[in-house]
Amino acid sequence: MAVPRVVIIKAGNLWTSTGAVDPAVITKMFARGFALLTGERGDAGAISSLFRPGDRVGIKINTIGGKALSTRPDVALPFAGWLSQSGLQAKNLFIWDRTTRELRDAGYGTSADRSGIKVFGTDADGVGYESNLVSHLSVGSLFSKIQTEFATASVSLALLKDHGLAGVTAGMKNYFGAIHNPNKYHDSRCNPFVAEVFDAPPVKSKHKVSILDALIVQYHKGPSYHARWAAKYGGLIFSLDPVAADAVGWSVIEALRVAAGLPALKDEGREPVYLATAEKMGLGRADLASIETVEERVA
Amino acid sequence: MKRRQFIRGAAGAGLVVGAGLPSVCSGLAVFGAKPNLSHVEARYYDKLPDREVECRLCPRKCRLGDKERGYCGVRENIGGTYYTLVYGKVCSLNVDPVEKKPFFHFLPGTSALSLAAAGCNVNCKFCQNWEISQVRPEQVDHFDLPPERAAAQAIEAGCPSIAYTYTEPTVFFEYMYDTAVRSKRRGVRNLVVTGGHINPEPLADLLAVVDAVKVDLKGFTQEFYAEYVRGELKPVLETIRAVAKSKTWLEIVYLVIPTLNDRMDLIREMAKWVRNEVGDHVPVHFSRFQPMYLIKNLPPTPVSTLEAARETAREEGLHFVYVGNVPGHEGENTFCPGCGKVAVQRVGYRITSIQLKAGRCDTCGTPIPGVWT
Repeated sequence: MAVPRVVIIKAGNLWTSTGAVDPAVITKMFARGFALLTGERGDAGAISSLFRPGDRVGIKINTIGGKALSTRPDVALPFAGWLSQSGLQAKNLFIWDRTTRELRDAGYGTSADRSGIKVFGTDADGVGYESNLVSHLSVGSLFSKIQTEFATASVSLALLKDHGLAGVTAGMKNYFGAIHNPNKYHDSRCNPFVAEVFDAPPVKSKHKVSILDALIVQYHKGPSYHARWAAKYGGLIFSLDPVAADAVGWSVIEALRVAAGLPALKDEGREPVYLATAEKMGLGRADLASIETVEERVA
Repeated sequence: MKRRQFIRGAAGAGLVVGAGLPSVCSGLAVFGAKPNLSHVEARYYDKLPDREVECRLCPRKCRLGDKERGYCGVRENIGGTYYTLVYGKVCSLNVDPVEKKPFFHFLPGTSALSLAAAGCNVNCKFCQNWEISQVRPEQVDHFDLPPERAAAQAIEAGCPSIAYTYTEPTVFFEYMYDTAVRSKRRGVRNLVVTGGHINPEPLADLLAVVDAVKVDLKGFTQEFYAEYVRGELKPVLETIRAVAKSKTWLEIVYLVIPTLNDRMDLIREMAKWVRNEVGDHVPVHFSRFQPMYLIKNLPPTPVSTLEAARETAREEGLHFVYVGNVPGHEGENTFCPGCGKVAVQRVGYRITSIQLKAGRCDTCGTPIPGVWT
């Protein structure tokens, strides 16, 4: 197995004076992140190395945490816009999560414009879950039709945060939002369920890239928002290896915890053991020593 | 309300009504189910710092941050207060023979208004009703049936009891409890069909207001519970003990699944436990498994296995042991432990004769435990 690469892109001028995020800077972060990830110089080259021109790309975001702690609209919308300017058709791009309510609560305006980028939940009219169970290892779930039918390619644009049960929630666990019964898979620190949901054909066969929104990272007491333990990390984390992306995300959380004087997740008995399981299942690399991490800042 | 009005009412709620008995039982609402969830504060939980809560309803004791739901998927922490999302949100409503629950020693030949809200606190791989139990409430069609109306509907449908069944009623505890209190005042009895994963405190409160509990004892090893139920055996046994000690009528069902929980030595051990811990008078039903949900690679239970289980339990001294899901089988009948004659004869869910007088065998006068009137 080749050494997987994880790219961390930060930007000095990311935040505007009002505390918002500059979408132009975000777009630059995506462009640089994909360039470093794929080795392609141009945006179109980077995109074409991952997607086919006719792909319908589902951008799975995480909006369970409301406006304060979800994949930010000012990250997801510029990303989709950049994809549409880099070779994919806007009409074939959709940003999605479980419910319209959660999308709205997180600040997304839902849209089903035929020619444009769409934003909608699995509960939207005409969508829903598959009626046939996918039984895969110890998981038995109905998958969102967005994942199974609408999308031909999938991006996990997840929020990086601490999770009281799983330890860390990031790109892989984001796909819990693609099944109808995620509440059934939080036992034993979500292990092996995070890995097994990812390994299920509707996800594994379509997943192309993990991107972690780490602009603000909840490094303790997640997955709920607590301003006291939320840090402006200001980064986006990219990887074609879903396990490596999350492993690096975990290291970011640990570093923030150390800086805040908090114990390591392992000391709290909740390190994300599902990453080791995922590695054993051949989904990617969990050991930081076997991952190439590249960090850059864009102007 | 006449039956026709009842049916129309359910149909007006946008639900499927079958021919014959009033029947509302939906599967997954695939297309755009609109959430219509309750926000009634849950009982049995602790508020913790940082807007966290810990549920005390069932042995899982889910500890949840803001905006998170418990394992059951129907109780949510919203801003540090815990809510039930399914209070009065009925996803399945039928008039069933009480024998279908099954209760064989509780008002035989009567009907029970049988209702459910979505959700469950375990995840049995052989669940027969997974389309309503293993989903979140916004994923099924449901309609509002407040406790008072449930009681009224039971009376109007000619049902002397309400059964909380199909899913796991523990997870809609608040609704079940309030409905039981209101219906009891109106002379309607209350039956609970449960997997038994409930903590002692809410169970004690529940037993004060319900009349009968049927516990699904799904196996007799912790390994089976861990792998196939995603639960624990010990609290289930504690629940069975607590029901037996109360004034509430108890029956036990053991679904026999080929190769998974059909070892006769374990069934013998279970029968001994029932005899020693809760009494030889407690009815035990050995039910036939049908391939379902996540276990479709096993055949239905051979009738011979059910017969062997029944014989084993009887050898251990249990007096009322039944074979379930095999219509017409002799093991559906209640035999008098005194004279061996048939005291209650059944074919499927139908009672064909009752040879009891004031709870005693018509032939020899031996008391047959149960709630007969």
